[in-house]
Amino acid sequence: MNIFYSIMVSFVWFLSTYFNVVFLIALLTEKDEMFKYRKLNKNEDPPKVSIIVPAYNEEETIEQSIKSLKKIDYPKDKLEIIIVNDGSRDNTGKIVNKLKGKRIIFLDNKENRGKATSLNQGIKASTGEFVGCMDADSEVQSDIIKKTIPYFKDKKVGAVAVTVEVKNAKNFLQKIVEIEYIMGLSLALKMLSFFNAVHVTPGPFSIYRKEVLEKIGMFDPKNITEDLEIAYRIHKGGYKIACCIATKVRTITPETFKSLYRQRKRWYSGALYTINQHRDIVLNPRIGYFSYIVPYTFLLIFFGLFLFGFSIYLGASHFAKSLSLFSLTGFNFLSYITFNEFDILTLSTLTFFGITAIATTIFSAYVCMKLTEKVIKKKFVGFIGFIFLFFLYQIFWASSIFTVLFRKKVDWR
Amino acid sequence: MKKSIFLIGLLITSIIFVSILFSNNLINSQREKTVLEKMNQVVGEYENIQTLIFMSEFFGEDSACTGLQSTLSTMDKGLWDLGLKIDLYRQVTENFMQDPFYVEQKTEFNRKEVLYFAMLKKMKDMCKINQTIVSYFYKKKEYCPDCDAQSFVLADIRRDLEKINKDDELAIFSFDADLSIPSINLLIKVYNITTYPSIVVGNTTYSGLYNKKEIIKLFCKEKKLSIC
Repeated sequence: MNIFYSIMVSFVWFLSTYFNVVFLIALLTEKDEMFKYRKLNKNEDPPKVSIIVPAYNEEETIEQSIKSLKKIDYPKDKLEIIIVNDGSRDNTGKIVNKLKGKRIIFLDNKENRGKATSLNQGIKASTGEFVGCMDADSEVQSDIIKKTIPYFKDKKVGAVAVTVEVKNAKNFLQKIVEIEYIMGLSLALKMLSFFNAVHVTPGPFSIYRKEVLEKIGMFDPKNITEDLEIAYRIHKGGYKIACCIATKVRTITPETFKSLYRQRKRWYSGALYTINQHRDIVLNPRIGYFSYIVPYTFLLIFFGLFLFGFSIYLGASHFAKSLSLFSLTGFNFLSYITFNEFDILTLSTLTFFGITAIATTIFSAYVCMKLTEKVIKKKFVGFIGFIFLFFLYQIFWASSIFTVLFRKKVDWR
Repeated sequence: MKKSIFLIGLLITSIIFVSILFSNNLINSQREKTVLEKMNQVVGEYENIQTLIFMSEFFGEDSACTGLQSTLSTMDKGLWDLGLKIDLYRQVTENFMQDPFYVEQKTEFNRKEVLYFAMLKKMKDMCKINQTIVSYFYKKKEYCPDCDAQSFVLADIRRDLEKINKDDELAIFSFDADLSIPSINLLIKVYNITTYPSIVVGNTTYSGLYNKKEIIKLFCKEKKLSIC
């Protein structure tokens, strides 16, 4: 074992445990505030809201999305739905034409120009005071507008994010991601909103003050994670991002490791490009907690990745050494395993760091499940898998860093 | 309120961190206690042997040899376990603990081994003890890259014998040539050890790394063991 390795483990342990502990304290102390939401004043005229849905080859999901939009509980004359076909090569256009009726405005582009450009086109065409941006593979809860609009009473609120839930988690991978969303795209965002440090307005559904979007220059067509990048500009513009977890949007997640890998590579590469693009926010007191929390998470990611690489290297060299030793004894593994009795005193400090790190992760996940009233028994498989998601993150981050460093192309799908 | 969350978080994290280091200290003192207990056990056995040797001068070799047989095998096992524990605990604690305790115990352990080795050699002929005595000389990894591998092979052979309850057929003494213990230096001179690792079976010195098959062959050349 290496002394440098031990210091690294201790350091990364401290960074991650501190993050976990702060997360837990914030959740537990604010748990009564968590699900509270403001209601629209009955005497007030509700503001007009436009919902933009960019769609590219979404023939399998667009119908359900439109159906969920039609069910939204909000005065019909105050709700505008705009679907932007981003040059789909499948039957998306036909399905929208069939379902649109009189209420839906359909902008049918023949050319694929990207999600951000489609969103901007929809925003320009919209007449609402507030603009909801929604993915075409997602379904919203009917109270989504009623519960998010009151947040805008605070003139400083530029956007509101909502709970993002996984739709139909069937396989093991989706069940893990389901837990990740409960923690990361729901409670973590809510917790960050207490510090005005929400770092993303999730693509499945987020609602913006149109005036703010126009002021900060709309979505960046060059950025592959436009929902993340715009959050940075909202903060830089001096606005807040609120989070309402009393309502939700349900979205699909990748079914295979390969598609999850591609999705995360896009997300994480986008995050790296974005922090580089907006590096002036780092430790900028004018921006507040956001400017400290974002670099802290990047620091944790980089050190965690370095530690992971180092562990792989040490593990591999230990494995190679063990193999060469066992080759001298004719690979007598059985005798080695059965005759080495377990002695608790051989557990090292590093083992204790590992145990406590896993324990805090389990505890955080447990608290999140309890707070969101999810039945742990039903989500048990994902709950167990989530503990090991750390290893997958490292693969995704390593690949994303490689992509950014060598300026490789990142595919949308 | 917001600032206090960060401060409370820092405090709790620091408490957990310090608790881990503190528990490690407690566990380490337990480790040291275990090593010392095993060392005392070996010293006790050693005193028993000394008494029996002394008694043999008055009551004859036969009566002393009967007692010696069982004491020797207990002491042999005790020494082997102690050696393993010292090495194991030292590996676990090397990054977070002070090493002097283990260095000190290792030195003490080697001294005891030389004593036991000398006594066993003496008693072997007197009591016709059917045991192959092997001395293994090693140095630190920096000076002897193959020493770890040789230790691993010898431990594996020992385990094979333990498995069939025949570990008393073989006494392996591991001598650390880096400790500069005069008695070990003398053995190095007597057996003409110039390179490491080196194994002495009977009175013949074999230098260099040997695999399990080759070592068993060397042992069996000296005496027929159950693993031959």
